[in-house]
Amino acid sequence: MSAGSTTGVREAGGTHRATPAPRRAGTGAAYRWELVKLAALVRTRATLAAVLVLPPLVVLLLRGQRAPADTLFGRHVHDSGFAVPLLLLGFATQYVFPLLTSVVAGDVFASEDQHGTWKTLLTRSVSRTQVFWAKTLAATTFAAAVLVVLAASSTVASVLLVGHQPLTGLSGQSIPAPRAALLVVGAWASTALPLLGFTALAVLLSVRTRNPALGVVGPVVAGLLMNLVGSLGGTGWLRRALLSTPLEAWHGLFTATPFWGPLVQGAVVSLLWTALCLGAAHHSLRRRDITGG
Amino acid sequence: MTNSLAVRAEGLTKHYGTLTAVDGISVEVAEGEVYGILGPNGAGKTTFLRMLFGLVRPDAGVLEVFGRSWARDGTATLDGVSGFIESPRFYPYLSGRRNLQLLAGLDGGVPAARVAEVLDVVDLAGRAGEAVAGYSFGMRQRLGVAASLLRAPRLLVLDEPANGLDPAGIRDMRALVGRLAASGLTVLLSSHDMDEVEQICDNVTIMKQGSVAYHGTIAALRRQAPPPAHLLSTSDDRAAAALAAGRPQLAVTASEGRLAVRGTQAAVDFYVSTLVRAGVAVRSLTPGETPLEALFFLLTESGPEDPPGPAAAAVPAAAQGGRR
Repeated sequence: MSAGSTTGVREAGGTHRATPAPRRAGTGAAYRWELVKLAALVRTRATLAAVLVLPPLVVLLLRGQRAPADTLFGRHVHDSGFAVPLLLLGFATQYVFPLLTSVVAGDVFASEDQHGTWKTLLTRSVSRTQVFWAKTLAATTFAAAVLVVLAASSTVASVLLVGHQPLTGLSGQSIPAPRAALLVVGAWASTALPLLGFTALAVLLSVRTRNPALGVVGPVVAGLLMNLVGSLGGTGWLRRALLSTPLEAWHGLFTATPFWGPLVQGAVVSLLWTALCLGAAHHSLRRRDITGG
Repeated sequence: MTNSLAVRAEGLTKHYGTLTAVDGISVEVAEGEVYGILGPNGAGKTTFLRMLFGLVRPDAGVLEVFGRSWARDGTATLDGVSGFIESPRFYPYLSGRRNLQLLAGLDGGVPAARVAEVLDVVDLAGRAGEAVAGYSFGMRQRLGVAASLLRAPRLLVLDEPANGLDPAGIRDMRALVGRLAASGLTVLLSSHDMDEVEQICDNVTIMKQGSVAYHGTIAALRRQAPPPAHLLSTSDDRAAAALAAGRPQLAVTASEGRLAVRGTQAAVDFYVSTLVRAGVAVRSLTPGETPLEALFFLLTESGPEDPPGPAAAAVPAAAQGGRR
């Protein structure tokens, strides 16, 4: 320490008597704090960059190849710019969404254990509940950002490179371009609630396991298992309760007579998963002793 | 010093499974006091501080900070309180300054200029732009102190602040804590180093296996301490030990291949001259543990069923009971 710092200490000590007791930060301050941390992470920025850049590359790749006729809307990718974002959405709901959301949500609590920073954080003027909602909100913000960027990038790139021709629906009907555009937006939007459910599942795993790797990989494995179970026969009631099922509910929008039941049912299931996972995670975080981190 | 209490703990207990980490301790820290919590590793010091910060919940007892409690006041309990538990930890991918800015945001109402001010206090202004991942252990400890000062605390809690530092770092950290204490803050310092606590603190609680082994002033502790010890090496230790027999002011015992000589300075001087006159060559005579260190070891190393040694017997029964 320099000799000069002695004065600094006295000034610092002297200042505290004149300074009023600091007002306590709210959930908003904790949310901004979490966003700043997320923005500083290479992983976060790389993921957002990937969902922005990869869809145009996929569109370019598809243009030079034969249409993938065995996938949903695959056979129409050269005919309408609205088919490619739906093809990508179908792929994303199968494999990508759980990973994209858990990249942040699965790590957001466990990283505090990893860095040993819980005690740094919780010895400030912020409660565990505030930290919990701030982190959950930040993870949800990231999941929403990924969804919006991926949807926008896929749709814009596809319409620009392929065109805005009418789309052939799942019943073989022709859907005019303006309606097709609305349905594409609606299809992507319909995955928001299941994504919230997967975010909540990743949050729960992050809180409970205190391990970033398990928090990130866990929802991906869970998503794959749910897809597997959902593909088995004779699992009607179970299939409806799975979090992966609402990710496919948008298919009903593209039939000649749209059916909304799966969308409503999927929204309810997603919200139930979200409430259960977040409730369990919040309870766990509030009750736990911070001994290591 | 005022009569109001910064910290009041009564009958505080914490179990981890079958382990009783803190066993009904009672501690009172007055405002403006520099207070030491002393004990070997595993004595329960850090668990006590964790309960103070609300990181773990007590199983029983009362804990108040400036009259507020976690059960009644929640996060408001920490108004005017800051510090760190064990070694301070930060986000390694952010700079020291950015870490402090984030923490200032969480405190609410901390002026932006305060970050630069506290970085200057701990002599980190020049390295504040670097990622914490590249900081030495000592720099992180100092950044921890800076983070604690951000919110202009009335009570500063430091858990083994010199732990893991090199000698220069220990010197600097002690000087810093000393200056902070001199500025009028209430300081609660946890340590396993008697020397550190003796130099800085007014009052001390010595913990052992979750209980309070001593509670009182450093001055009173010093009065109860045994005479200083010296380590003696001679050409004939057996003869040297025999020459010590029958001297009431001197105690000579074998210790790690040498003789531990405990007595007043005059008695030790006379004993050494006696050895020389008797033809026993004195090869070395070095200071051993300080009197307070000796008392600390006596208080903390004997088991509950062990009979108290001469020095332990000097400690008041009330102090053994753990309540001031």
